[in-house]
Amino acid sequence: MKEFTYVLPRSLPEAEAAAKKPGATLKAAGIDLVDRMKERQFQPTEVVNLLLLQPDLGGITADADGSMRIGALATLAQIAASKDFAAEGYAALREAAGEAATPQVRNRATAAGNVLQQARCWYLRSSELHCLHGKDGPSCLAQVGDNRYHSVLGYHDCVRVHPSNLAPALLALDCEYTTQLAGKQQRRRVADLFPLEPKAQLEEHTLLPGEIVIAFHVKAQPKSARSAYRESREKLSFDWATTAAAARVVMDGGVIQEASLVLAAVAPVPLPRPDAAKLLIGQKPSDELFHRVALRAFADARPLSHNAYKVQVGQAIVREVLHATTR
Amino acid sequence: MTAPKNDSLPPERELKVGIGALVETRTFDVPDGDAPPWDATTKFAVVGADVDRQDGIAKASGRAKYAYDITFPGLLQAVILRSKIARGKVATIDLEPARGMPGVAAVIGLKDAGKKVRFVGDEIAAVCAPTIDQCRDALERIVVTYEQEPHTVDFLQSSDAPVVDDSGELVDPWSEDGDLDKALAAATVAHTGTYRTEVQTHGSMETHGAVAKWSGDDLDLWMSTQATFGVRGEIAQAMRAADVKCTGVTIHAEFVGGGFGSKFTAGAEGRAVALLARAANAPVKLMLDRYEDHTCAGNRPAALMQFRAGLDQDGVITAWDQRTFGGCGHNGQGGGVAIPDHFLRKAARRKDRMHKDLATDADPGRPMRAPGHPQGFFGAELFLDELAAAAGLDPLVLRQKNDPQAIRQQQYTLGAERFGYAKARADAAANNAQKGVRILRGVGVASARWGNLGNDGRGRDGSGGHSALCRIHQDGSVEARSGAQDIGTGLKTVLAILTAEELGIRAEQVRATAGHTSDPSGPAAGGSTTTPSLAPAIRHAAFLCRQQLASKVADHLGVAATEVVFADGKIGTAAKSLTFADACKLIGPNPLEARGERFPNYKGDPFERGVCGLQFAEVEVDSWTGLVRVVRMLAIQDCGIVLAKKPAESQVLGAMIQGIGFALHEQRIMDRQSGRMLNGDFLRYKVPGAVDIPPMDVIMQSVANGHTNCSAAGLGEAPSCAAAASIANAVFHAASVPLRHLPITPDKVLKALSQRKAK
Ligand SMILES: Cc1cc2nc3c(=O)[nH]c(=O)nc-3n(C[C@H](O)[C@H](O)[C@H](O)COP(=O)(O)OP(=O)(O)OC[C@H]3O[C@@H](n4cnc5c(N)ncnc54)[C@H](O)[C@@H]3O)c2cc1C
Repeated sequence: MKEFTYVLPRSLPEAEAAAKKPGATLKAAGIDLVDRMKERQFQPTEVVNLLLLQPDLGGITADADGSMRIGALATLAQIAASKDFAAEGYAALREAAGEAATPQVRNRATAAGNVLQQARCWYLRSSELHCLHGKDGPSCLAQVGDNRYHSVLGYHDCVRVHPSNLAPALLALDCEYTTQLAGKQQRRRVADLFPLEPKAQLEEHTLLPGEIVIAFHVKAQPKSARSAYRESREKLSFDWATTAAAARVVMDGGVIQEASLVLAAVAPVPLPRPDAAKLLIGQKPSDELFHRVALRAFADARPLSHNAYKVQVGQAIVREVLHATTR
Repeated sequence: MTAPKNDSLPPERELKVGIGALVETRTFDVPDGDAPPWDATTKFAVVGADVDRQDGIAKASGRAKYAYDITFPGLLQAVILRSKIARGKVATIDLEPARGMPGVAAVIGLKDAGKKVRFVGDEIAAVCAPTIDQCRDALERIVVTYEQEPHTVDFLQSSDAPVVDDSGELVDPWSEDGDLDKALAAATVAHTGTYRTEVQTHGSMETHGAVAKWSGDDLDLWMSTQATFGVRGEIAQAMRAADVKCTGVTIHAEFVGGGFGSKFTAGAEGRAVALLARAANAPVKLMLDRYEDHTCAGNRPAALMQFRAGLDQDGVITAWDQRTFGGCGHNGQGGGVAIPDHFLRKAARRKDRMHKDLATDADPGRPMRAPGHPQGFFGAELFLDELAAAAGLDPLVLRQKNDPQAIRQQQYTLGAERFGYAKARADAAANNAQKGVRILRGVGVASARWGNLGNDGRGRDGSGGHSALCRIHQDGSVEARSGAQDIGTGLKTVLAILTAEELGIRAEQVRATAGHTSDPSGPAAGGSTTTPSLAPAIRHAAFLCRQQLASKVADHLGVAATEVVFADGKIGTAAKSLTFADACKLIGPNPLEARGERFPNYKGDPFERGVCGLQFAEVEVDSWTGLVRVVRMLAIQDCGIVLAKKPAESQVLGAMIQGIGFALHEQRIMDRQSGRMLNGDFLRYKVPGAVDIPPMDVIMQSVANGHTNCSAAGLGEAPSCAAAASIANAVFHAASVPLRHLPITPDKVLKALSQRKAK
């Protein structure tokens, strides 16, 4: 990596002040960030390490309104093992966090870092190649190159996929997040964290420079709610998902009352599929129904030259996640 | 092991060779002075027992120092500047700006202006400085311009590539061959198919590279190598070529983190680190990073193979034909394909070999664990299963009918029983016949073979020859040393076991050392030669030391030296003996020392000239997601007399794991436009992880072959032949369509399953 200034703030205002400087970047566990720096793919002049801000940014705690607060620095392992998320309604969070990466990574990786990690596109992440996304290249190299792990849906010109396990689970539970910028805290829906096309072509999230994620907020889940996260991958560990889905369902008397469905690893941002989820409302669970939902979720798929299989696999994962929420 | 009664044995010796019911007596010419040969009747104390790997704890605890770990005060780091284009010429190069960069101690050019650039990663220049980042900063200042030429990194796009249709079949008509064509026409069942494998990289845990340190004009190199003596010569030659005065090179490779065939050469990195250390007048370390290791240090070339064959009504293979292509690097070499032709003894075959190596603008291939075999065995063994299916025969039965090999015939019976083959096949078939079943199951089997009984290492004029050193010290400590390398395969454990067996002590009492060229020479660790080449010399060294110690003990106890027995830590006769430690007190300040000789392989007919194996695999195929999981595997493997059981089993297990990778995951993915490898890491270049590895069972079979004093045969390669093939066969059984293109990734499985539905 290139030389940089290392800042270890002891308080949120200190962190904010440091993060404001041009060329500064925030570091949580650094699993993604430090890799990119070592590969000289990203060369910040100032690295602001958030890890000492545990009091403000760490832990999983309950808020007065019954919602749960996942600190930005809570680790994937903490989320996966949290007793607060033992109920079926939170299962998507536990499963998404618990299936990511490897035990070593999960013990360090933070919630915010996981959601905000850079896409794994092998063109975008090469310091030698110059593509449309962020690196002054004229076009997306994956579109004409090898795109077996790239988008099949919802892309404009850049066909990277969103790599985070946690993001679709947070979206399926309609979570919120709080950030701090210029001394002001703001709370928004997680859906607002991800840009829409065509903006998503260049930007992976909507945070402003220096804006620090403080926490994610998970609404209290009713007893009748169930959620799940499922993914496909080629290996059983140490591998990213080729497709993933998170779902939340509320049932009453064997009939689905509420439903949400979010796809991941198939589009540049995690992709809620409200139209597909709507097919579930008022219905009794069945594989035939889930099959229809899965087809609907991928109805507007536009697979690239090497990744048509992802549509079929993604549909299978949707069926699986819906079975898991209604078993 | 009991001592021989007589040291001067007649050269003609009858030995019991073979295994189990196959044991028979054969006569061998045993050279004068060799240790009396072991055979199928020998009772062992240490050989074949569950002895732990000698350096296991050192490795697991991090105390083992690999080349990567070697450091010295003032050590500098080095990095190589590599070509960003795949093909062309260096037009201009200016190294000067790098020299003035902070910390830079030396800069050397590796490619002058006008020289060809042959692949992305081809070496251009190298620098050394106190930190890797300073090296990188300096490299960024070197200005290189290229005259770029069009390139291709896909062997099927090369100018002389064969035509392949959409389904992957080779379409050119076969050239005529009278007898073969007749046999094919006469066959009861005939079949044809085209098979393909992708480039696999070696992916050794430790990347290539070395630490170089000069003392005056003497050079010491701590190198990650599998050919200590070969690279010593290579480096000495390179120093001469560069006009660098070098009075001696010593290679140290006491611990090597794998090689799999990629580390026979010191490479550009080995030459560069020696030159940089000289120029900087400081110790220098140059280890490749993972991307460089994937892209600049060799690979197993891709393969394309077409077979056609015929069976008679008895299921005998009466005709066999093949044409094969290797997908190679820029040198267009090394893509040969080997098939299990032990099944083809009765088949009419083409006289000439139809193989073509196709060049691409990429890193050249290097030998990789059983070169050519995993590719060819995958294609041919899957083709055999298809042939069996076409004939309505069980694939195991087809093999039994066509395999003349006695050892493998008993392996079919034993293996089928241990694996529960028939029941597992039937259960899988019943499962797959259910309507709407999601998880399909399959069971497959494939054979393994390798032929290497080692060599004596002598040149044509009889000079040289492998050797090993044994030393027994006054304090009771025992050393066994070889200058050859232990790349993780277990040479040190073999040294300890053979020495302990000969001296009647425990293996843990022997300190085994390998990998310093100041010790006696041995072969490169390739082609399964190390153990069969060195074990007889190791045993002989211990045997000679034993004779020296026996005579001291005999004098002391007043018995005849020929009556002295070494067993259970005691030396002497039944009536009088000393403990090993007490006996060693007779030695005096100079240790007993002997260099063992590697006699030529015995004249006579060894029981088996190579080794035989068989592997079974059971898989699950998720018909929704296309994901294949290996559920369990079994290997049966012989390797002559099994000397070191645990390392032997771990060789086989490693081959099976590597086979899972080759079958299901591993492939070098190249970007056609830039010529770069896209997955040059371990995130997207996928090797099996702990969770991907199913329960695996290994049965080692000890076969006395009567070939040397210890009947050793090589083991590294054989088990790699069968692993991917058995998995592909199991997938065929599960999917009921063959998946003829490795790796079997979900996209291919789903496509195959949809074609099956369409049929
Ligand atoms: C072998 C391996 C396998 C993996 N497999 C998976 C997988 O299957 N699924 C998966 O989801 N991930 C996977 N990962 C990725 C891993 O989960 C992420 O790299 C990790 O979660 C990043 O978290 P971090 O705390 O290290 O973030 P960092 O690397 O510290 O930061 C990542 C990004 O987030 C920003 N950031 C961090 N915290 C904040 C904050 N509070 N406010 C604003 N910005 C912030 C940083 O500036 C940076 O841009 C894998 C990683 C490895 C090494």
